[in-house]
Amino acid sequence: MITHQNSQSQNPTRVVLLGARGFIGTAIRNLLDAQGISVIAPSSAELNLAEVGVADKFVMLLQPTDTVVMLAAITPDKGRDIATMMKNLTMMQSVCAMIEKSACAHLVYFSSDAVYNAAVSRVNEDTPASPQDLYGAMHYTREIMARSLTKTPVLVLRPTIVYGADDTHNSYGPNRFRRVAQKDGRIVLFGGGEETRDHIHIDDVAALTVRCLLHRSTGTLNVATGTSKSFLEVAELVAKQFNRDIEVITTPRQNPVTHRHYDVTNSIKAFPDFRFIAVADGIAHVHKKTMKAAQ
Amino acid sequence: MTAPVIGFCGMTHLGLVSGVSASAKGFSVICFDPDAARVAALVRREVPISEPQFDSLVTKNAERLKFTSAATDLSACDVIYVVPDVPTDDLGRSDLGPVNALLDTVFAVARNDAVVVLQSQVPPGFTRGWQRPGRILYYQVETLIFGRAVERALSPERYIVGCADPAQPLPPAYRTFLSAHDCPILPMRYESAELAKISINMCLVASVSVANTLAELCEKIGAVWSEIVPALKLDKRIGQHAYLAPGLGIAGGNLERDLATVCNYADRYGTDADVVRAWVANSRHRRDWALRTLHREILSRMDDPVIAVLGLAYKRDTHSTKNSPSMALLEHLQLFRVRVFDPVVPASAAPNPRCHGAKSELDACEEADVLVIMTPWPQFARLDPTAIAQRLRGKAVIDPYAVLNGAACRAAGLNYLTLGVQS
Repeated sequence: MITHQNSQSQNPTRVVLLGARGFIGTAIRNLLDAQGISVIAPSSAELNLAEVGVADKFVMLLQPTDTVVMLAAITPDKGRDIATMMKNLTMMQSVCAMIEKSACAHLVYFSSDAVYNAAVSRVNEDTPASPQDLYGAMHYTREIMARSLTKTPVLVLRPTIVYGADDTHNSYGPNRFRRVAQKDGRIVLFGGGEETRDHIHIDDVAALTVRCLLHRSTGTLNVATGTSKSFLEVAELVAKQFNRDIEVITTPRQNPVTHRHYDVTNSIKAFPDFRFIAVADGIAHVHKKTMKAAQ
Repeated sequence: MTAPVIGFCGMTHLGLVSGVSASAKGFSVICFDPDAARVAALVRREVPISEPQFDSLVTKNAERLKFTSAATDLSACDVIYVVPDVPTDDLGRSDLGPVNALLDTVFAVARNDAVVVLQSQVPPGFTRGWQRPGRILYYQVETLIFGRAVERALSPERYIVGCADPAQPLPPAYRTFLSAHDCPILPMRYESAELAKISINMCLVASVSVANTLAELCEKIGAVWSEIVPALKLDKRIGQHAYLAPGLGIAGGNLERDLATVCNYADRYGTDADVVRAWVANSRHRRDWALRTLHREILSRMDDPVIAVLGLAYKRDTHSTKNSPSMALLEHLQLFRVRVFDPVVPASAAPNPRCHGAKSELDACEEADVLVIMTPWPQFARLDPTAIAQRLRGKAVIDPYAVLNGAACRAAGLNYLTLGVQS
């Protein structure tokens, strides 16, 4: 559930985007630029959040009227071990330290749906966080660190599986399906692809985030569409985009089937006129954009 | 013995209905409320509640009814019911201040041989805490249902009476009054009676939660809940009168209070109330069914829609909007133009500055993109789907309680959406 501190949309004075070079960060940056909102986006080379004492350096940059969007993290594809978790916590420690020193108008922390227990099939923002791995525990700890900034209005966003043409990750789902379909002419599923998941298009993630910035929203919000599809359905949607036959291959199941559905009532309450991109439309859009870029 | 004089303290919905119904049974009744303005209005026959039969009973039995704001008038009573509302906050927690204040007043003026009967909804243990030497105190469970209050007051199913000692016979005046209603009288300890009231409500909530849970599943898998309900009602373990109609969560305040009370007591005594918390969560989830459906069908598809909403009260035959699903919906529609109509509640009660109060049901439908029926008022069922279709600009009718005939709506070209049916 989130609360809008600004009942009417109001551009933030300036947005400090940490992790702006990533898939989600780039999309948010582009949308903020398109709306004429001032952004600074220090790179990790300019501002290494994992470096001890970086907070002092960063305080020079931060204004009390700034909105900070914290996306910077070492993602699971680059490490899932304890050392990675500790680096991620150090990064958040730096962010919290600099906000404590300098203050800011609004902090938006990008968490993950990994804070929920994978066995819980239906979640909303009231579902107790119960992370099952270090990555989920890291995000949940960073959420608590953010909320410990009692003088700062904090919003935590927990995105589900995000897809889009510019995604550099290769995790199981629409992005990987499209790449392997293009390369190999086939998509191999885990088991029968029965698991249902909520896949959200990157443009929706950016649009919802910017709305939250404009309303200076606080609380916790899952970033999901409310519609779940099985991996088999998603694979078939991806396969349909190609002008040639793409084989969708099922394999013997190794792990139990789990499902994930989002109750997005709180999103609807927060933004009742918001229109999510249907996964079929989103996959088609990503395919066209990718093919056009390849030409 | 001569017919006892019955007093009712607190001219609430319960107090008014109980007092007027007692007069209809032939008893002389003194209706007391400390609020002189409220009593003056009642003397002028300005009745603040809406209940079937109520107005005519007031007129017919006027000679046996006395409305007063003078507490000393209660000294004429043989039995005095104490019936103020016990307000609740958003979490269902009770404010016992008003009932404590009224009990103080009553004990100050009642005769020592008068029977004081507490009927407000109080937590277990409350009544025993009010026992005083030389005073006769009972607790009686109220089972008021808004919209059926008079019928149930005149012909109760049973009386559940909480006693200091259930082995002792009831005082003659009290027994005479109860016996006039020709139903079983069940004496029990104060605490048992207080918990009996909560137990009844928990059974109702359980039934409604079953209906809501399975109706939602019906909406996904193509089953129709209304086809299943008769099969359940013919099962003797469930019964004809079971609460199996799906709805938009629990509303009205009283059931929520009991849910909160059970959870609070379970927390205090370490008993398991997880199932009760699940009912609460399910109720919250179902309350937003109309919003989710409206978003899916209209809000996520078109710019600047006009929404017609019929009904503001939390249920039919009442002016109460406490925890009304309609009010909850309207709170989230502030971005949109809304045309609203309720037979009793004015549009100004809606928490939405863009609400336009329509003159009638069909006036609300005029040029709207969607019709949402949020209270199952009987008069809404008489609306002609063809007339609705002629006035609506769009085709969608969201009718959670199935007030309208779904087949007739579809025949009129409407896209009819209701609880428990796939759409």
